Amino acid sequence: MKHIILQRIAISLLVALTLISAALGWYFRHSEWLSQPWLIGLVWLSVMLKGQQITDVFMELSQAPKLWRGLLLSYVTVVPSILCLIYWL
Amino acid sequence: MSLGSTLTSHAATSATSPDKKLPGDLAMWFFILAELTVFAILFISFAVARQLNPDIFIAGQQTLHPIAVIINTLALICSSYLVVLAVNSINRNDSDKARNALLCALALALIYVVTKGWEYQQLLALDYGITTNTFYMLYFFITFFHFMHVLLGMVILGSIALKAHGKGYVVDKQGDQSVSGFEAGASYWHMVDLVWIILFPLIYIVT
Repeated sequence: MKHIILQRIAISLLVALTLISAALGWYFRHSEWLSQPWLIGLVWLSVMLKGQQITDVFMELSQAPKLWRGLLLSYVTVVPSILCLIYWL
Repeated sequence: MSLGSTLTSHAATSATSPDKKLPGDLAMWFFILAELTVFAILFISFAVARQLNPDIFIAGQQTLHPIAVIINTLALICSSYLVVLAVNSINRNDSDKARNALLCALALALIYVVTKGWEYQQLLALDYGITTNTFYMLYFFITFFHFMHVLLGMVILGSIALKAHGKGYVVDKQGDQSVSGFEAGASYWHMVDLVWIILFPLIYIVT
């Protein structure tokens, strides 16, 4: 039962974060507000959170061997961090 | 010890441990890792090219359709959730529910395919193509590469839905499972979703 609740939380979080990101992109698409470093950081932070939910809950890697979970979690953390860093520099 | 042998030995250990189990086939996870690596290189290339030509990229992003991308993102996320529900059902030996959930996931994937096709058609009608500039070259290359993965994922989901329809997946009373193929297909589909989650802000949101 616990995993079903976690799955429902994950899908709600994924949809909510997607809609927020899309709304920000749509609302500020003609302004330079979206180029603000802290906002770019926030967008990539939301990507990391979404990636963690997909990895741990949808792919069920929270119950997988630590190495495999670590590999996938490091991917969803490192890749957005590199992209964020490139945009920041 | 090489990374490959470490990963294999971990998976072998997990096969005997009831607590730590890697869903699906080990080969699929190696395939997923390889695919994710290729996409990571493409994402980084896009971000670097964007930093080198910011004006071209910002102008290119303005031509993309914002509603189409929201529809695509929600379609992929919701189809991924339906695949999760299908895995729950197959673990309860409810093949019919699993098949129905997969068919709904496929319908959402079809929405993605149609919307993406429409988006490409709109851009091509405005004379934007792979040769227009660096932005469109990378945009078409990365999104079409992902599009091909969605098509492959749909074939995989279709085949496991067909097998589920024929009651081909069974979890017996001892807990022994023959659902690893099902789980492997589901994991591949989640990988497609995971890639889109990163691609979505990279190409459409962050300017």
